Amino acid sequence: MPAFLIRRLLRFVVVCVGVSLVTFSILHASGDPVALIMPEAAEADRDRLREALGLTDPLATQFVRFVAHAARGDFGQSFFHREPAFRLVVERMPTTLGLTCLAVALALLIAIPTGVYSAVFRNTIGDHAATAVVFLGQSMPVFWIGIMLMLLFAVQWRLLPVSGWDSWSSMVLPALTLGSFTTPLFMRIVRSSMLEVINLDYVRTARAKGLSEWLVICRHALRNAALPIVTVIGLQFGLLLGGAVLTESVFAVPGVGRLIIGAIRQLDFPIVQAGVFLLAIMIVLANLLVDILYVYLNPTVRLR
Amino acid sequence: MTRWLFGLLAMMFAALIAPIDTGAQGKDTLTVALPSHAPTLDPHMHFERVGVLVNINMFDSLLHRSAKLEFEPSLATSWKALSDTTWEFKLRKGVKFHDGSTMTAEDVKYSFERVLEPGKEKKKSPQYGNIRAIKEVKIVDAETIHLITDKPFPLLLERLVYFGIVPKKHIEKVGEEAFGSTATVGTGPWKLVEWKRDQHIRLEAFDQHWRGKPAFKYLVFRAIPEVATAVAELKTGGVDIIRNVNADLLPDLKNHPQTRISTTPILRVHYISLDMRSAPFDKKAARQAANYAIDRQSMIQKMMAGLGKEVATVVQPPAFGFDPSVKPYPYDPKKAKELLAQAGYPNGVDITLHSSAVDWRPHFEALGQMLTEVGLRTTVKMWDPGPAWNKFFQTEGKATNGQYGSWGNYSVFDADAVLHPLYHTEPGGWIGKHYARVEGLDKLIDEARSTVDQLRRKRIYADIQRMIREEAPSVFLWTQNDTLGISKKVAYEARPDEWLWLFAARPAS
Repeated sequence: MPAFLIRRLLRFVVVCVGVSLVTFSILHASGDPVALIMPEAAEADRDRLREALGLTDPLATQFVRFVAHAARGDFGQSFFHREPAFRLVVERMPTTLGLTCLAVALALLIAIPTGVYSAVFRNTIGDHAATAVVFLGQSMPVFWIGIMLMLLFAVQWRLLPVSGWDSWSSMVLPALTLGSFTTPLFMRIVRSSMLEVINLDYVRTARAKGLSEWLVICRHALRNAALPIVTVIGLQFGLLLGGAVLTESVFAVPGVGRLIIGAIRQLDFPIVQAGVFLLAIMIVLANLLVDILYVYLNPTVRLR
Repeated sequence: MTRWLFGLLAMMFAALIAPIDTGAQGKDTLTVALPSHAPTLDPHMHFERVGVLVNINMFDSLLHRSAKLEFEPSLATSWKALSDTTWEFKLRKGVKFHDGSTMTAEDVKYSFERVLEPGKEKKKSPQYGNIRAIKEVKIVDAETIHLITDKPFPLLLERLVYFGIVPKKHIEKVGEEAFGSTATVGTGPWKLVEWKRDQHIRLEAFDQHWRGKPAFKYLVFRAIPEVATAVAELKTGGVDIIRNVNADLLPDLKNHPQTRISTTPILRVHYISLDMRSAPFDKKAARQAANYAIDRQSMIQKMMAGLGKEVATVVQPPAFGFDPSVKPYPYDPKKAKELLAQAGYPNGVDITLHSSAVDWRPHFEALGQMLTEVGLRTTVKMWDPGPAWNKFFQTEGKATNGQYGSWGNYSVFDADAVLHPLYHTEPGGWIGKHYARVEGLDKLIDEARSTVDQLRRKRIYADIQRMIREEAPSVFLWTQNDTLGISKKVAYEARPDEWLWLFAARPAS
């Protein structure tokens, strides 16, 4: 177990360095940052700023300095807000994580019953219909689904607020929108892994014991089918955080994604760097967590 | 497992039937949707339109501008020019700040010096450039202030319309950061209750405001980035006013039982700035040809729902110095072809135009089509506003022949505010620096800038308009309207300066 953990943690560090390299190059990929910061200034003033920002040093030196600062959570001041960029991003992180977790919960809430249903009654009309509906959902862009759900639930039927993030009811539509993106995959995974276990010996044994079909499915089959779902949640987490960027804009949710989009428009690089860095770290952490959970759930991994 | 599932289901159901909080929609609350919030509520420390719209309802300036664009007394009851460089302002007595203190001449002096920061090389306020002409603020007595400019500065009154007066003692006590976020205090009709970033700014009517109480007790500015979302909020009563409604949304909001629109011509003028440094637009005939090639009327009618007005130059009709006797170029493709042949291109010529006006892409493409039809075979290049576009401009727009865009004068109703940035070739000029090369124009612009004799300025601007119509440094297009979507429960109309002066808003009877 410790050896396994150390291996995973080492990998985590390597990925973090990679992430910081990408984040670091954002600023340099977009041309001369100084010219972007002060487009109308005289060349002498620009030189002074370049000096002050340390942009005259070799790239390697700059990168080391960037990593050293980033490790301490220092990405510099936001040009627009004139506050530490890291703080602005961290303030909004709970909202984005909340939205993402809620989306995963809603997606599972839809995917598990439909997946189980499809597996138990496979190749029936119900199975095909569920598959079709769910896949229709995935083939539509998040942005569009969001607006459609808004038109139906908020404008047409007046069941939920249009946008915002100040009450439970206002969180339903954004979470559903974001969740719709990942529901089909969850459903397929549940269906196929259920199919795998449903005819195994121990399930048959459970049935032979005289347990009700309901109990057999929920307690014995589903629990063992859950393993791949955990993996997929971890993998999807990154995609969901990306999808949160669009969802937050559509529903005026005050999260990290919306902050980053605004910052890109305003050329506010410290925020873009801090935001991308933190989101990337979240994704890596989620994967690490899945790895550990996996070991806990499936002892065979430990033996490898 | 099942219990857990049922628990979640119950939670979801509870969420569904929970009372909907759409932002406290009583008839004492007025809610406005803005695409974003400014970085601070401090009126001097940002220059964002979305922030100005909030600030004007919390702070008063020395002068106010009426919906008819006339100067009105506000914190100054009267004003006059004592000489070319000295202006006298009489201050209103007994005006209260939101913290209960009385506004004094000291506060006025402090407000200006906070932005001017005399003696400091690097200025903190992005509005410094707006009032840099003020050399000295002199307190003559408790009710009299003199503003002394370094040279004649005709735009002074325009600039004072948005220049909030802030409380000296209060800011010195709470500090700049708190003043801009949690402890914002002005003399305006509404005072700050709460600012939740990227969510809402909630204001409450100020009982002791000198104009009296506004009709709405609460004023809320919600930050909603997507237009489609703002429209949905308007239809469901989540907000009462939305800004910048595009032509394609007009029928929808006009026909909806709960909403209406209010539209008015504004300063924003559209143009294609032509690069006069290189072929083909180094030739006057080619530039005129481009102007004759555009069917402005059809575009306004068919693509802008009629909400626009063709212009003869870039000087907008509501701006000071506009000369109505200068007429727009007519649509005359035949003449355009002749002129192009005269310029040395009887078989036409390939050109490339650039733009970052993403909302106006269809218009830009239509313009390219019309130019192509007379022989100016146009490639249109659309850029994302932001880094790429700025980079393009840094390289002085190389490998291009022109740029399509619009200019809103920063809401300054004066010809200078469009002529200088577009055509003055010195630093400080904006596109002018890169593209415009009209002989003698710099001198005229400078001349009109350096006198407060309004009659003389008017004459100079008339000359300039005749000159640029003939020289055609740009393709002159149209001015745009600003259109608000408004709830039928609210009586309010759009203003030509795009301001939201919500003291004028009333519940509709």
